[in-house]
Amino acid sequence: MLELREIRKIYNAGTVTELKLFDGFHLVVPDGQFVSIVGSNGSGKTSLLNLLCGSIPLDGGDILIDGKSIRKQKDYQRYASIGRVYQNPSLGTCPNLTMLENLSLADNKGKTFGLGFGINRKRIAFYRDELASLGLGLEDKMEVKMGALSGGQRQAVALLMATMTPLKFLILDEHTAALDPKTAETIMVLTGKIVREKGLTAMMVTHHLRYAVEYGDRLLMLHHGQIVLDRAGQEKQETATEELLQIFNQYSIL
Amino acid sequence: MKNLKKLFCGVLSLAMVLGLAACGGGNGDRGNAAQGEGKVPIIGVSQYGQHASLNNCREGFLKGLEEAGLKEGTDYTIDYQNASFDDNMAIQIAQAFSAEDAALMVGIATSAATACYAAAEDKDIPVIFTAITDPVGAKLDSGNITGTSDVLPVEGQLKLIRALQPEAKRIGIVYTTSEANSVYSLGVYQEKAAAYGFTIEAVGITAQAEVTQAVDSLIAKGVDCFSNLTDNNVVGVLGSILEKTNEAKIPVYGSEIEQMKLGCVAGAGLDYIQLGIQTGKLAAKVLTGEAVCQDLPYEVIENFSLYTNSKALAKMGLTLPDEVAKTAQEVGETA
Amino acid sequence: MSDLIVSTLTQGLIYALLSYGVYITYSVLDFPDLTVDSSFPLGAAVTAILLLGGVNPWLTLLCAAGAGAVAGLCTGFIHVRLGVRDLLAGIITMTALSSINLVIAGSNVTVERAIDTIFTSPPVMALLGDLTLSGRKLVVALVLAVAVKVLLDLYFCTKSGLLLRAVGDNSTLVTALAKNKGNMKVLGVVIANALVALCGGVLCQEQRSYSAVMGIGQVVFGLATVIIGISIIRFFARSKVAQGMRKVKGLRFLATPKGTTAVLLGSILYKFCVQIAINAGLPAHMLKFITAALFLVVLVVAGRRGEEIIHA
Repeated sequence: MLELREIRKIYNAGTVTELKLFDGFHLVVPDGQFVSIVGSNGSGKTSLLNLLCGSIPLDGGDILIDGKSIRKQKDYQRYASIGRVYQNPSLGTCPNLTMLENLSLADNKGKTFGLGFGINRKRIAFYRDELASLGLGLEDKMEVKMGALSGGQRQAVALLMATMTPLKFLILDEHTAALDPKTAETIMVLTGKIVREKGLTAMMVTHHLRYAVEYGDRLLMLHHGQIVLDRAGQEKQETATEELLQIFNQYSIL
Repeated sequence: MKNLKKLFCGVLSLAMVLGLAACGGGNGDRGNAAQGEGKVPIIGVSQYGQHASLNNCREGFLKGLEEAGLKEGTDYTIDYQNASFDDNMAIQIAQAFSAEDAALMVGIATSAATACYAAAEDKDIPVIFTAITDPVGAKLDSGNITGTSDVLPVEGQLKLIRALQPEAKRIGIVYTTSEANSVYSLGVYQEKAAAYGFTIEAVGITAQAEVTQAVDSLIAKGVDCFSNLTDNNVVGVLGSILEKTNEAKIPVYGSEIEQMKLGCVAGAGLDYIQLGIQTGKLAAKVLTGEAVCQDLPYEVIENFSLYTNSKALAKMGLTLPDEVAKTAQEVGETA
Repeated sequence: MSDLIVSTLTQGLIYALLSYGVYITYSVLDFPDLTVDSSFPLGAAVTAILLLGGVNPWLTLLCAAGAGAVAGLCTGFIHVRLGVRDLLAGIITMTALSSINLVIAGSNVTVERAIDTIFTSPPVMALLGDLTLSGRKLVVALVLAVAVKVLLDLYFCTKSGLLLRAVGDNSTLVTALAKNKGNMKVLGVVIANALVALCGGVLCQEQRSYSAVMGIGQVVFGLATVIIGISIIRFFARSKVAQGMRKVKGLRFLATPKGTTAVLLGSILYKFCVQIAINAGLPAHMLKFITAALFLVVLVVAGRRGEEIIHA
């Protein structure tokens, strides 16, 4: 279970451009929940993910995983139990390494990176199956450098890499925003499948209201660092895209 | 199409490079042949960099060979190379000498000499050095190598300063911490200064850019005069040093004739042309087989000369005592 | 002629050790490391002093590499832990080290011919005693350059090596793999400077001398060899010859050479460029200009532009 308590985050504190984004923010995410988060620009969606992952420092409050504070943990320490897919497809993989090398790296997460051989030949069949399950024909391109693949293909591999080892949370940071509509759709379908199959706790930030409605079992709308809409269960299932758009527009105008 | 053009360019340029290499090799082969038939031996001269003193060394060296009765073209040919103060260049120059089977290698300044000595090891080619202050410290005092040292006449300099400035107490010296010659000479200064009633204020630098700062700090400390070593970094910016010292009315004593020409008041200095001539004569002995390096200890210039610059002296309000004036040579061009 | 090729090749092979180091920092890690200008003479200083002290010449090389590793550790620590920018961190260590070098060995050391170096040590003499000194130097330099290259290639294939390459390629991913990218950077800079100092040590034994100023310009040399080497390899990899080779199974591995091969060739080519300039019979003061012109030709012909770099 993830708990965000009394979160405070102030940008440019003490200057004229001071921006108090979060002040006493609260959120509890139970295990196995898939939370979709929407909100206009500057509402604090991405900052929320960055605070959780330790990419930016916290100004107050506490973050707890299963009752234990992770506030003092460095970013890379937190990633031990967190997988993350970024908006920019090139952030999730190494462009100059081959796909096989990328997958091998991801496969070794949580273990020591010692002087053993980097690529475990016994695992290639497994990688092949995993890639084949993406349905993008990537299983035959394992020796290709990641940089030579399209954004959608890279994002698919990044998703696979982020979820390859056991993890507590999957963080999806507008991970379809840089893709064309068709590829975005494919990646979303894959995301839904992986989260469901692995029973992951996931937080997905998206600008795509339809995705927020169609995927996940909880829907949050943020505005100026506050939760203005929080629907789960039956209520979330009955929310239509049009209704969400209406609510969204009310806040955007304000 | 574009690729084809590129490939063509590549092949063409490779051919050019190989061609050049072949030309270079050609020279070497000629050298070999000449050597084999007992004709015109090659003297490889490696000068560490372009520098007035080192240039004088080379000029003197050529003169020395002539004075020893050898003629260029019939008795020897010179393969002169300049390493532009680059140690790696000096290494490769020396290797080129070895490859063309030079009869003798000459290294002007320490780095050039050590590179020659390393390249000469395989074929046991004799090496002559010059412009090395401390051949013993550089361990170039034994083996198939000999030469001349440009150790400074420090006592002569201290006497001269005492004669010109009877009241002076503190001598400022700027030196480069990584220049072996400077570190050695400074040691001599520090050892001998007390006997003449001086103390030495030395400031070490690591690059030429730091020279003026070092001079400023010594002026601020109130030194009575500056005395130069043969430090490349310091001599290289002598002009700007003199601007500062002239303003502060502090005389600068030089260590080599060229420095007095530029505006140092006076100096007990080396004449690098003379040093070169001595080196040339030494080389001639080795080249003609009259002696081998092992039997020739390295030489130092025993007799130093006094040089003065009257304009610079006048500017500082210094007068030359008669006993100095008798032996000194006026060389001043600018003050 | 053959003498000259032997000695120039020897220089290229010895300096390849330095090029490998610069390759790791500049090309693999994307870390412009200026420590090199001082860690190179550091290796030579340590080697020279230990040789004079009667230490086994091979052991002195190990010590030199160790000293270089410590220098790299300083740069890495200053950058990663103290948060100083990479370029400045290198400059700070380089500056401090130049004093340390003077403390260790002063400004100049010559190792007399009576003292054994790796090129005259008993095991080498036992195996290669029939060769001339130049011949032995070439063989030993070749063995060292190839051995280090193979070790590096193997390392780049290990888990740690993969992670090191990932740091230079996309450090965000390394963080997402729950690894401290700072530690990996430090490791890279340590390995790089160990190699640079090793190069200084080998050169010191080959030249029988150390000088405090021998490091000047070594960063530039290293960068030039890395860039030239990689440009040429890239040019080759795109060529019809390489395309043809890829179709033949036994030749396939030769068609896409590794980055270490590239810098090895770059180092050798650089030394040949300089030697050609020396031998061209041009005025001595034009040497640097001619050398620069030759590099320009190589770079333009091989095509400097291009996006991908071949690592391991």
